[in-house]
Amino acid sequence: MMNNVLLVAKREIRQILAMKSFWLTLLILPVALALGPIFTSTLDDDEPSRVVMVDRSGGDVAAAIKARFMADDDRATLRRLSRYVQRYDLEEADPQAVWTQHDRWYTDADIATFRASGGVDSALEKIAAVKPDGVPEFEDDNPRYTFMPATSQLQGLQGEEFGQAAQALFDSDADDAPEMVVLIGENYPENPEIGLFSANQPNPVFVSGLQETLTGDLRTRLLASRGITGAEAAAIQSAVPAIAVSTPPPGGGAREALLVRSIVPLALAYILMMSLMLTGSWMLQGSVEERSNKLLESLLACIRPEELMYGKLLGGLAVGLLMILVWGGCAGIAAYATQGVISDLIRPALEPVSSPGIILAILYFFIAGYILISAMFVAIGAMVDSMSEAQGYLMPVILGLLLPITFLIQAILAGKDSMLIDLLTWIPLWTPFAVLARLGLGIETWVMIAAGALLAVAILVEMIFIGRLFRASLLTTGQKPTLKRVLERFRAQPQ
Amino acid sequence: MSVLQVSNLVKRFDNVLAVDDLSFSVSQGEIFGFLGGNGAGKTTTLRMVLDIIRPTSGSITVLGGAPDRRQANAIGFLPEERGLYSGMSAIDTIIYFGRLKGMSPGDARRRGMALLERFDLAGRAKSDIGDMSKGMAQKVQLATALVNDPQLLMLDEPFSGLDPVNQGLLEAEILSASQRGAAVIFSTHVMQHAERLCDRLLLLRKGRKRFEGTLEEARGQLPASLVAVSSSDLSDIAGVHSASAIGEASDGWQEYRVQLAPGIAPESILEHCSTSGIALRRWDERRASLHDIFVHMVGEEGSNNDE
Ligand SMILES: Nc1ncnc2c1ncn2[C@@H]1O[C@H](COP(=O)(O)OP(=O)(O)O)[C@@H](O)[C@H]1O
Ligand SMILES: [Mg+2]
Repeated sequence: MMNNVLLVAKREIRQILAMKSFWLTLLILPVALALGPIFTSTLDDDEPSRVVMVDRSGGDVAAAIKARFMADDDRATLRRLSRYVQRYDLEEADPQAVWTQHDRWYTDADIATFRASGGVDSALEKIAAVKPDGVPEFEDDNPRYTFMPATSQLQGLQGEEFGQAAQALFDSDADDAPEMVVLIGENYPENPEIGLFSANQPNPVFVSGLQETLTGDLRTRLLASRGITGAEAAAIQSAVPAIAVSTPPPGGGAREALLVRSIVPLALAYILMMSLMLTGSWMLQGSVEERSNKLLESLLACIRPEELMYGKLLGGLAVGLLMILVWGGCAGIAAYATQGVISDLIRPALEPVSSPGIILAILYFFIAGYILISAMFVAIGAMVDSMSEAQGYLMPVILGLLLPITFLIQAILAGKDSMLIDLLTWIPLWTPFAVLARLGLGIETWVMIAAGALLAVAILVEMIFIGRLFRASLLTTGQKPTLKRVLERFRAQPQ
Repeated sequence: MSVLQVSNLVKRFDNVLAVDDLSFSVSQGEIFGFLGGNGAGKTTTLRMVLDIIRPTSGSITVLGGAPDRRQANAIGFLPEERGLYSGMSAIDTIIYFGRLKGMSPGDARRRGMALLERFDLAGRAKSDIGDMSKGMAQKVQLATALVNDPQLLMLDEPFSGLDPVNQGLLEAEILSASQRGAAVIFSTHVMQHAERLCDRLLLLRKGRKRFEGTLEEARGQLPASLVAVSSSDLSDIAGVHSASAIGEASDGWQEYRVQLAPGIAPESILEHCSTSGIALRRWDERRASLHDIFVHMVGEEGSNNDE
């Protein structure tokens, strides 16, 4: 018995694997995944720009420039941290901290306070204490600039030769080749000419930062030369407006967190549906061939109709699992290959589906869903004589199945517990999709077990009726399967 | 030993009595012809033997047990409507059916290659069925039925649609199967093949058995007819149903067309004539063809001699 089922399944698999459309659909997803990282890695270069500073005027100017850019980086971090706290309502982590004040443009004083209180690390510690499950980690960007010491060779060169040496540095293939060299002459500030050598078109943000810093420095010196003391000069310099910022808070944090958690569950439900539709139509082609080529009687002389049916179901299931394995493997490889960019997104997304119990449940609902739905394709295949006739029965089945699933996915994207989600969980036809899709929102264990048990019962009943239909339909030819006939065949005893 | 025993078999579809109280048996090495017109119930009976459909009542014993797929391993079946997977190669198709009939992959391959060799198809073993001619595909299908060296070979209308070369090949296979001890049943509504091959035959009409026995016994069922030239009137002899004169008598010798009564053998009349001194100049027995017997027993509407 089992042997024949396996033989039928193996033949079914071979037939599907011989189809071009199988390989096409199998490869579309990995190709898309492979192209994704290529785009992201070219679009979003996250490496800091390397800058070499050569300060021949004593070193104060270079230090001021570095301080300026580090302050800019800290301001950017502070702003992002503030947005993050606001998005996920984490103010209680430290209501007094600057990063829980979202109403202003951070001044140098704010940045100093931020640094004094331990910077981003201490802020994240406080946040971790109050952060609910499911809120993703805060992602800190790399600093935009790193400053490298000048080589001694560069230190000694003058004029043209300095420019050539800088160019040679840019052209070298070394990983840490600088992208910009800034030269402050020994006669600064008398001669305020600054050399900026850049591998590419210089970044305007960098240039204006450089310019602002040097302008401030020159002005302070000028003020001092007019008899204004250093402290007063500094006060004049630091007279900056306090800009109050008012923007609506970034969209609902909790909802977004749920969405991230639901990515994988929704993808699972979607993949189940996709691969079912694909293998279903391939299985249907096989059944139609068996009927139209008058193969069935030869087969039925050797094996029971049940063996034929189970073999087909098993073959379809194996092909479906193979597709999911390949897709999952490709997704895994893509996640691994793009570690930095995607893994931070994937980690919270995988979190709701990574306990052994949940993995078992996914496997169960996946396989059960596969059997439940593909049995219908097998039944259609047993009744029709041609592919075009099959389409006529497929359309209502597919629409009837898919419409509620699209509503389900929408309801879950909306992040609300809705009647529909509950309802579909308990109708066996949609149980696998509903349970898989709900894993992100959270589903009670008892609901999962009870719905799973109901599903198992439904499959048993389905096997009995589809088995009868299958058996009664196999050797009828040229009879249009009207509803009346289908019902009769459901009742048919082995004849 | 009887390979197949059918007793009081009845099969009723909704409103059609397809097989009506049918009993027969087939033994080892026997070639059994299953004759009847379209709709006589031949296919239905064979399907019941294979357990593809179940009888309404009656019993079947095949290879010592009730019909069951377990016996598939020892049965070869060629269905009336034939076809194979167009995307599968010839040898893979044969192996697939061999394995469904419980053979090991190695045995199925060896046996399949040997059959293809015999059918002159060894060179096309790896060709897809879809790329083959109809005649080649028919040979491959015959090979799927023979791959397991069946003890019971059942062929449903095996000659229909076959070209003359393949018909000859099929006849040879049927004979060789029976020579190695297999029971062969084939259904047909074309009588020539049955006449050439059958050890015994069964005539079916609307699900009912009309006759079962050897070809000779079948002939005995048909009133014998003969042409005789005699000097005395032949119509008075006991056992003669009618004797009609043909043409004018010449020199006292008259030609008669003689129709004997059912069950009367021509030899007994000949013997009667010689013992009672009836002079005969000519005695031509006319041997009935199976077709005549068929038309006689089943009626012209049941016969179908268009192939
Ligand atoms: N599945 C079925 N449902 C209803 N009637 C059937 C079925 N199969 C065969 N019959 C009827 O049974 C009778 C015998 O058919 P069949 O065995 O195919 O005859 P044969 O093979 O001798 O031509 C026919 O009248 C046919 O219409
Ligand atoms: Mg028939």
